[in-house]
Amino acid sequence: MKRRQALKIVTLGALAEAASQSVAAHGLASGYAWTPGDHHLAFFSEDENRMIDELMEMIIPADDHSPGAHAAQVSLFADLMVSTSDVAEQQRWRRGLEAMQEEVSRSSTAQALAKAAANESHPETELERFFVVLKRMTVDGYYTSEIGIHQDLNYQGNAYLSEFPGCEHEAHH
Amino acid sequence: MHIYDVCVIGSGAAGGVMAKELCEGGAEVIMLEAGEEVPPARFLSHKWPYELPYRGLRDEKQAPFYPKDISAIRYQDTDSGIGVDRVRVLGGRTLHWNAVTLRYAPRDFRERTLAGIEEDWPLSYQELAPWYEHIEQTIGVCGQDDHLEILPAGKHYLPPLPWRCSEHVLARVGKSMGIPVIPVRKAVLTLPYDQRPPCHYCGHCMDGCDVSSIFTTPDCVLPKARATGRFTLRQNAVAREILTDSSGRAQAVSFIDRITRSEEQVRARVFAVCCATIESARLLLNSKSPQHPDGLGNSNGVVGHYLHGHIGGGVSVYLDELASTKPVNQDGATDHVYVPRYNQLSGKRDYAGGWGIQVNFESYMFPDQAQHLRGYGAPFKAEVRRLQPGYLFLGTFCKAVSARENYVAVDPHQTDAYGIPIPVIHYRFGENDRALWRDHNASLQQLASRLKGTVFSSLDNGPGGFASHEVGTVRMGKDPQTSALNGFCQAHEVKNLFVTDGSSFTTSSEKNPTLTIMALSARAADYIKQQRRLNAL
Ligand SMILES: Cc1cc2nc3c(=O)[nH]c(=O)nc-3n(C[C@H](O)[C@H](O)[C@H](O)COP(=O)(O)OP(=O)(O)OC[C@H]3O[C@@H](n4cnc5c(N)ncnc54)[C@H](O)[C@@H]3O)c2cc1C
Ligand code: SF4
Repeated sequence: MKRRQALKIVTLGALAEAASQSVAAHGLASGYAWTPGDHHLAFFSEDENRMIDELMEMIIPADDHSPGAHAAQVSLFADLMVSTSDVAEQQRWRRGLEAMQEEVSRSSTAQALAKAAANESHPETELERFFVVLKRMTVDGYYTSEIGIHQDLNYQGNAYLSEFPGCEHEAHH
Repeated sequence: MHIYDVCVIGSGAAGGVMAKELCEGGAEVIMLEAGEEVPPARFLSHKWPYELPYRGLRDEKQAPFYPKDISAIRYQDTDSGIGVDRVRVLGGRTLHWNAVTLRYAPRDFRERTLAGIEEDWPLSYQELAPWYEHIEQTIGVCGQDDHLEILPAGKHYLPPLPWRCSEHVLARVGKSMGIPVIPVRKAVLTLPYDQRPPCHYCGHCMDGCDVSSIFTTPDCVLPKARATGRFTLRQNAVAREILTDSSGRAQAVSFIDRITRSEEQVRARVFAVCCATIESARLLLNSKSPQHPDGLGNSNGVVGHYLHGHIGGGVSVYLDELASTKPVNQDGATDHVYVPRYNQLSGKRDYAGGWGIQVNFESYMFPDQAQHLRGYGAPFKAEVRRLQPGYLFLGTFCKAVSARENYVAVDPHQTDAYGIPIPVIHYRFGENDRALWRDHNASLQQLASRLKGTVFSSLDNGPGGFASHEVGTVRMGKDPQTSALNGFCQAHEVKNLFVTDGSSFTTSSEKNPTLTIMALSARAADYIKQQRRLNAL
């Protein structure tokens, strides 16, 4: 999100204009909040959703600090985002899902994910490209969820303060 | 039909100031604004991502400022990374600006004389200085006088914002490299001022401030205009063209009411165009008449040309010395420090101009590093967490050179939702821009490596523009052959026409433009008052 904002700072109008259209296009009033609890799959099949959920939990797993992508229901968020994306984006997911399913059925989910992630900086195959898309979605969904923001990052902001406490550590000065 | 003294078109920084100054000076003013009021109750600033339709990832928070009927535009012959910003809302971009409030330096008005490029402005820093002071006191600015030649200061500031840990580290490292780091100057209140409350440090400035601690025109200057009893506001009024009389003087504005879709006219003695750089040029170019066949005040063909703005880049450094520290609330009022231009302090360069660095204006809520770190699983998740407390963002704003080849035109064959020809953008970076960008990259990389930490940068993507700082398309100048306006933002060819937004800039420095826009607008308003007294308009 911040990277997007940084971009927005330099190409602001174009993005903001496109965004307002996409919100309007889906008839969502700006006060509307999406919650995974009410969500019915609109793009993924039940099987696909199960696989994505499993993969996402491997990308951001529960650890002794906080729950992971499964508990944050990130796969349902992914379904919302993909089902409301343009056709090119949906096709990217379709192709990626097929490549991933094929690989999973050949080996295992864990091995398929490891193979997909092997070339993250310069993805070449359909499977490798899918990893980049899938991970980005996992990151977007997890770190915008209540679990990601509050439990994992322990984010302290979005508050009303009467004064801002500056740094008082001698070592930083 | 009623004839107003002045018709102001646009309610952003330029228009808001113009209306206030004129109303307080005794003029009867009508303001036409294409957008409508978005009251603070409709801001989504304090909403959590999970309370928004798409978690805020589709810019839902800013969507109310960008209704979709404004989106028609075309980019043609344009370098990648170029985007222009056009809002439609009462208050313009002051509703969601970041309020960094910097004076241009004396040298910034004299590029031709001092650097041998572009043109000198038809006015000097000394002539604008009283108006800078006037605006600073009107809007309320925190900061201090740092006694820097490159960044002149005013006399009255509210206390500066306290610095975060990362900003102290930046200042310490900067000092060792000869790079100054100073308290930012921002139109954000650190104390109660002008009946507005101080900031509550939520970091949401660019999504709309719910308590008016930041300067916006609807909260700060439009109420003052209204209080005079001489101010009329027409919202949802999209100016289509300015009509002239047989002598070529501006006489009326033809506008479309966005709600009723009907076309109306408003008459005035003087017109102040404040629609911002793209839309002001578009309005003049769409105002064709037998007296002004190429657009209003455009017989020399300058209007629309010399489009430029800031070149931007960003570097994130996750400081080693803050990694794994306990999370604290770092939101603040976005940037608290500023790195003024420093390349003029050292050796010779093969280009003109410089850059300033705005620090930490991005949100602290989303961990940007998660988009950049490689790998997955438990180590990935732990690393995102470990880095988060050390986040330091450096956003650069570089000077871009104004060039005639870069321009906004209108396309008579493609019209928007109201049948108004759309703007078409033509823009390519020049040699000076690229040379400056290269030197800036090297300097930023050096700074980032000296700061010690994990670094992610967008610099490899090449230069981007314009950071919502477009200027130059109806420029001022000494020579009526190569400019559209004189030093009072008055059209050379149409004496009762003024253009006081960023389009009037002769050149751009590395500094954010809005304080200069407001100072020019206040100075032009004063000139209009004088000229009206002399019956010269
Ligand atoms: C996220 C963000 C951060 C920023 N941060 C800073 C900063 O820190 N410092 C800084 O100096 N600047 C900053 N800026 C830029 C600053 O907001 C602009 O420079 C400033 O608002 C320009 O003022 P203006 O009056 O020229 O135009 P605007 O504020 O854009 O106002 C123009 C107005 O004209 C109206 N209009 C346009 N066309 C028509 C028409 N045909 N008829 C009627 N009305 C019309 C529009 O609806 C709008 O209300 C930022 C901008 C953004 C978006
Ligand atoms: S940080 Fe301060 S100025 Fe910015 S939105 Fe919050 S309260 Fe308003």
